[in-house]
Amino acid sequence: MRLKLKALLFIAPLFCWQAVIAAETGTALKNDTLRKEPYADAKAGGSLTRGEPVDILKKQGAWLQIKTKKTTGWVRLLSVKRGVSTSGNQAAGVLAAASGRAGTGQVVSTTGIRGLNEEELKAAKFNETEVKTLEGYTLSADEGRQFANAGKLKPIAFANLKAAKGDTK
Amino acid sequence: MNTRKNLLISTLVATVLGTASMQGLAFDFKGVLKEAVEKEIGQKPETAPNESSQTPAATDNSSVAKNNEPEFNWKNPSQEEEISLGRQIAGNLLGAAPLVKDAALQKYVNSVGRWVASQSERPDLPWRFGVIESEDINAFAAPGGYIMVTKGLYRKLSNEAQLAGILGHEIGHVVKKHQLKVLQKQQLLNIGAGFLSDKYAKDNKLMSKAIGTGAEISARSLDKSAEYEADRLGLSYATRAGYEPYGLTEVLQAIGQTNKNDGSVALLFKTHPHPDERLVALGDAIGNRLDNIKDGKTLENRLYQLKN
Repeated sequence: MRLKLKALLFIAPLFCWQAVIAAETGTALKNDTLRKEPYADAKAGGSLTRGEPVDILKKQGAWLQIKTKKTTGWVRLLSVKRGVSTSGNQAAGVLAAASGRAGTGQVVSTTGIRGLNEEELKAAKFNETEVKTLEGYTLSADEGRQFANAGKLKPIAFANLKAAKGDTK
Repeated sequence: MNTRKNLLISTLVATVLGTASMQGLAFDFKGVLKEAVEKEIGQKPETAPNESSQTPAATDNSSVAKNNEPEFNWKNPSQEEEISLGRQIAGNLLGAAPLVKDAALQKYVNSVGRWVASQSERPDLPWRFGVIESEDINAFAAPGGYIMVTKGLYRKLSNEAQLAGILGHEIGHVVKKHQLKVLQKQQLLNIGAGFLSDKYAKDNKLMSKAIGTGAEISARSLDKSAEYEADRLGLSYATRAGYEPYGLTEVLQAIGQTNKNDGSVALLFKTHPHPDERLVALGDAIGNRLDNIKDGKTLENRLYQLKN
């Protein structure tokens, strides 16, 4: 009996930990309708408000099953930003930047010393050798097709996406 | 040698005179000139009703410069001119960050890029792709089909469909001549302004003058609308190529989780709309368009693994 209790005490926190890491979190990117099933014409079962935190339970095709504070349902993949919310946390971000620390606790560069920053780009000199090397890799359309065939990629008919109606962006 | 200049100027001035009285000229000449220039190069990315109509092919090559310096036909550049401009910009960028010395990697990226570009409206350009030595997270397109991805961005990828999506975005910029149009507008304005103030300089027509110092042009922003358009095209090309359509959006999701104070995304975030906004815009454009697309491939096993 005592042994069993000990085991339980040991196991219980493990389960909790499992539950915490199993649920991926996210944030609603837009207002949307929650569906009972992962289809556009499935019955509505609640709504999602932009900025609302959610737990992501499952992915199926282009749909995510999510859990909000109130309910559970399916929304389109792009209605949710995966990972922790940053939009509601901008003050924290600014504070982190001011102290030279951000997010991970690592000291990060705010001037971008290690990258392609504007100063570095401005100072760049034309490099003929590198352009020639780059051009040396140019492939023909046929070579591209062979590569696609090797990966069993099949081209399909799909008209270019257009900007959404009323979207002036 | 002056025929081109005169032709160009007379066209611009005629347009300007057609829309402004001489009295008003002194004040809002710049604005009117700007409008005239925009009209000339057809810089209206979103309003064109039929997207299939391509920018007219350059046929006006009548003016060959008589001196050694080739003049650039800013009003209606030929494909050859477009490529030589892109080559200059790409070479400057490579001066800041050279290619990763891994021929197998470069060949792989060219294979994916070439196949995606073949689904675009400009399959016949000599498309070339490179991964460059930088831990920044970014990608660049230069006119004529020069496309570069940083090693830092490549690291973020977990499958080939994602690579196809980001290359598709850059291909979209080249197809729609986004950067070229910005340069055209700027140079036509310079030429026009130079003429007006009697300080017209021939070298306004030269390529180097337009590009500016080093690779600073690669640090410039395009219109937000150009970025959204490139997102839509990139996703469309990758989908047509047979890839799982959400590759680009997965990369945007990953980049969106990068802290914006992280130096590796500083330039990207400065020159592009935030990934969240891009995801929303793409989601709205997609609507139900992808509901019946089922067999797209991700090819995670084929993604070339970086050596370091």
